Amino acid sequence: MSITIKLFASLREALGESEFQLELAAIPVENEASSVINVASIKTALSARGSQWHDALNQPNLVHALNHKVVYLDAIVADGDELALFPPMTGG
Amino acid sequence: MTVSLQAEPIDVVAEYAALVGEAPGAAVATFTGYVRNHSGENPVGALELEHYPEMALRVLEELGQQAAERFGLLRWRIVHRFGVLPVSETIVWVGAMADHRGEAISACECMMDMLKTDAPFWKREQGPSGARWVASCENDGQRRARWERGERA
Repeated sequence: MSITIKLFASLREALGESEFQLELAAIPVENEASSVINVASIKTALSARGSQWHDALNQPNLVHALNHKVVYLDAIVADGDELALFPPMTGG
Repeated sequence: MTVSLQAEPIDVVAEYAALVGEAPGAAVATFTGYVRNHSGENPVGALELEHYPEMALRVLEELGQQAAERFGLLRWRIVHRFGVLPVSETIVWVGAMADHRGEAISACECMMDMLKTDAPFWKREQGPSGARWVASCENDGQRRARWERGERA
């Protein structure tokens, strides 16, 4: 079971990655009684990759989009989902 | 197509003509955004626009449809560019047709205020001292919030 992670803009630049697969089985769950993986647990797992990941993913106002919709830390992630992480948008 | 994402410059004359068509409604309003040649005190040579294509299309379609329902639009269109955009070139175009000027003008303003904070594009300014990411603007957030509160400009 895996999801696609996409990074954009300054986040993509800081971490040197734009897109990769993440195995859900490798994500520690917050509560052993339920095997729910949410955006928070994904961020925690990615932050453990090193200080650069930790700093980049814990910047204020980071946006999370699950399957092209903005979500928050409690959003549950499922097999096949696409989770994009990026700084605040500056379109128009 | 009511939403287009494109690298090419926006043909604003053609877009306007297509929006109006053969039988225009009573009121047509549009907005065009161009690349500014400065950012504060610093000169800008070009703007680089990164985007998240699938989400950008979805967000622009949703906010256009919401504006159409809110303001009773007869027609609407949003065109947004991506890629490297030189100074004075088009970035974005929105158009709205309604029965009355208030709805047409407000719909354009609402669509622009919403897309500034909700559409997944990120700007990087290229200037003499290199490239820098543009920070999101608090004013944009405040303008967007007014529409949520039901206020008009």
